[in-house]
Amino acid sequence: MKITLNDIHKSFGETAVLMGVTLEVHGGEVLALVGENGAGKSTLTRVISGAYRPDSGQILIDGVPVTLKQPQDAMAHGIRVIYQEFLQNIFPHLSVSENMFTLDEHGTFGRLFVGKKRMAKKATELMARIGLHVDPHALAETLSIGELQMLEIAKSMAHDTKLLILDEPTAALDEQESERLFAQIEAMRASGIAIIYISHRLEEVFRISDRIIVLRNGTVALEGPAATLTEREVVTAMVGKELDDFYPKESHGTEEVVLEMTSLSSGTHFHGVTLSVKAGEVLGIGGVMGCGKGSVLRSLFGLLPVTAGSISVKGKAVSIGSPQAAMNVGIAYITPDRQAEGLLLQQSVAHNISLASLDEMSPTGVIKLHQERTKTRSIMDALNVKAASPEVAVGTLSGGNQQKVLFGRWVMTAPRILLMEEPTRGVDIGAKAEIYRIINQQAALGVAIILVSSDLPELVAMSDRVAVMRHGHVVAELTGDDLTQNRVLEYALESAA
Amino acid sequence: MKSTLLKTARELRAVWMLLIVSLILFIATPLFLTGPNLLNVLLATSVTALLAAGQTFVIIIGEIDLSVGAVLGISGAVTAITLQTQPLLIGLAVGLGVGALAGLINGVLVTFLRMPSFIATLGSTSVLAGLTLFITQGNPIRVANEGFLAIGQSRPLDVPMPVWIVLAVVVIFGVLLARTRFGRYVYATGDNAEASRLSGIKVYRVKILAFMISGILASIAGFILTARLGTAQPTAGTGLELAAIAAVIIGGTSLAGGRGALIGTFIGAILLGVIDNGLNLLNVSPFLQGVVKGFVILFAVFLDRNSDLMRGLWKMLGSLRPKRPATPSTPATPQEPELASRH
Repeated sequence: MKITLNDIHKSFGETAVLMGVTLEVHGGEVLALVGENGAGKSTLTRVISGAYRPDSGQILIDGVPVTLKQPQDAMAHGIRVIYQEFLQNIFPHLSVSENMFTLDEHGTFGRLFVGKKRMAKKATELMARIGLHVDPHALAETLSIGELQMLEIAKSMAHDTKLLILDEPTAALDEQESERLFAQIEAMRASGIAIIYISHRLEEVFRISDRIIVLRNGTVALEGPAATLTEREVVTAMVGKELDDFYPKESHGTEEVVLEMTSLSSGTHFHGVTLSVKAGEVLGIGGVMGCGKGSVLRSLFGLLPVTAGSISVKGKAVSIGSPQAAMNVGIAYITPDRQAEGLLLQQSVAHNISLASLDEMSPTGVIKLHQERTKTRSIMDALNVKAASPEVAVGTLSGGNQQKVLFGRWVMTAPRILLMEEPTRGVDIGAKAEIYRIINQQAALGVAIILVSSDLPELVAMSDRVAVMRHGHVVAELTGDDLTQNRVLEYALESAA
Repeated sequence: MKSTLLKTARELRAVWMLLIVSLILFIATPLFLTGPNLLNVLLATSVTALLAAGQTFVIIIGEIDLSVGAVLGISGAVTAITLQTQPLLIGLAVGLGVGALAGLINGVLVTFLRMPSFIATLGSTSVLAGLTLFITQGNPIRVANEGFLAIGQSRPLDVPMPVWIVLAVVVIFGVLLARTRFGRYVYATGDNAEASRLSGIKVYRVKILAFMISGILASIAGFILTARLGTAQPTAGTGLELAAIAAVIIGGTSLAGGRGALIGTFIGAILLGVIDNGLNLLNVSPFLQGVVKGFVILFAVFLDRNSDLMRGLWKMLGSLRPKRPATPSTPATPQEPELASRH
């Protein structure tokens, strides 16, 4: 089995995600695919698995061009993907063996009634092949995350897999489970299966892969055998040369410390975080998914309990047990998922913006509509929110304008500390630039800002200082000439010593 | 601007339905459009209107309160018993207290105890209805207090007192919902409870207060029903929750939460009252009246769920009209070949 991708292009609307990707993978080979968030890895995966159709370019299997219209077509060719979000493919209330054979196209286990014993026997057999020993009758929800992932791999074995794509497979696994996974990958390679391994963890990549391909901005930036490449080469290829002038960074940092965290911990989310932010300063927090960077913000906003350490605002110790308590000391939090936990999509733009500031507009409980209208108007003008009128439902706006409305809600509260997580996720380039302008405006007003972002160029360009987190700990604080994408990546990834 | 119009059209849907039904009745019978008959409709509607007004708050926060009929029953009975020994004000206070307490309990079940409101209020309905039967021992309780009977039977300015009460409730609670901070929080909670919590709103408190408003208005409805009859019936209010929910939905409030208005509910309740009244005036068999009302409710929910479809139909109708004069003049329109060649 040999799969060849030839000059694959794929765009979503006006955003080109893949711009001519060519690669090849053979049976009995582990190909590692690395790249920053947004480099196009997931899109490429979905093109190979038939979930997306490329705009142009060819896919060849053993030299024969194929068209993969839907995932079933790719499966018919023996292509399987285990996505990072594989838990969505598990039916928690069905048994292990039922999960394994949900798709029994040929009625192997009976057409009307299902032969559960035969199914369990076959499942046990397949699981044994990859060293997974669980009761096939147990409900899937009783398995650990690691066991479920192995179950997904066993499931793919049931269908004569020729190419297996693993997307960040170790993100949810502990050391021991990871080791078992690596052994399994080794065994699959030996049996002639082609494997594409996607990971942020360079140490793993170098350990198990034969060949490495680095994607950047939808093209192949580097390709070579794992044995001859170095980590530094890979990191440099991931980062590339960025257009610095896209980020209109201004520096407004002062000497006045506004927020201080001292050995702050929250359960298993993060430990011993000591950080401070000054008025007008933008503190960036970087790190890979699951490193705890978002949890720090959630505990500052009273959404996660503080289990050890302390928080002080302007030198006064505070305890923050709820969003209201956080707002009372002048903290605002712009959530990463604007639709699920940010906006009220059916309500008007004006009502969304004023939501967190209604107290001051309604001293008697009755809202002073005139005051509300004037204030929301001026916020909409200042942040350049484009809407037909303040009365239209927020759900009808574009992503970028929705995000600006969310900023508007918190800017209106005139916060002292502004926490933001993934502030430009899913917005177009134009709106991104405008959001950076808002960040500058707020910094100029002396607001202390914490910016958590997975967008590395943004994080490095818009922050005065970046704290890098790994496994719930702050492992580095970078400023000045030290603050480069390479340095952030080196500390964020497992490999850095 | 456009969406404001759509929103208004949505809220006014009940008005259109009311006008159409009224027009049909006006043509069908001369008895309908007379002052006494219309006041009669309003009087007959007052109990449902009060229950529906409270229900509106609960439905906008995205929950449902099935217990309003049972709350009406128990607060009527408790008030009647209290009035046998106590003065008017104490009787009213006890009745209102029972309604508020029932709402508080429903609210706590739904928030802190995390129960789905459908089941929680179904359970409390059974509990309250049973308690009413127990404290009344299944017998009607007579009320002799003149002041209390006036709530149901007096006619200041020749308008029945219950109609005045409903108007006052619609104005006060309409303003509460549309113009106050609490009202804004009600809509916010129903639209996206998590986002509301992350904006500093005490979501549980808002939900509990909405259930308490529903309970309090149900107990006022209990006063009216008891005062009109002169007795508290042990099974009073049974089944009225369904009429109340129907009035809310017909009035344009979304069962999914986050959208609606009290004025719509009020008109929805009147519409149901007018249909009842009309069927009586037209001598329709009482056995068939439920069938007609059922169809009205189904039609209203159909409109609610298929507003896109209706908008599409409306557009199609609109686009048909200007075309008619345009079609005869088809020969030699210069744009058409151009358009064709472009494709």
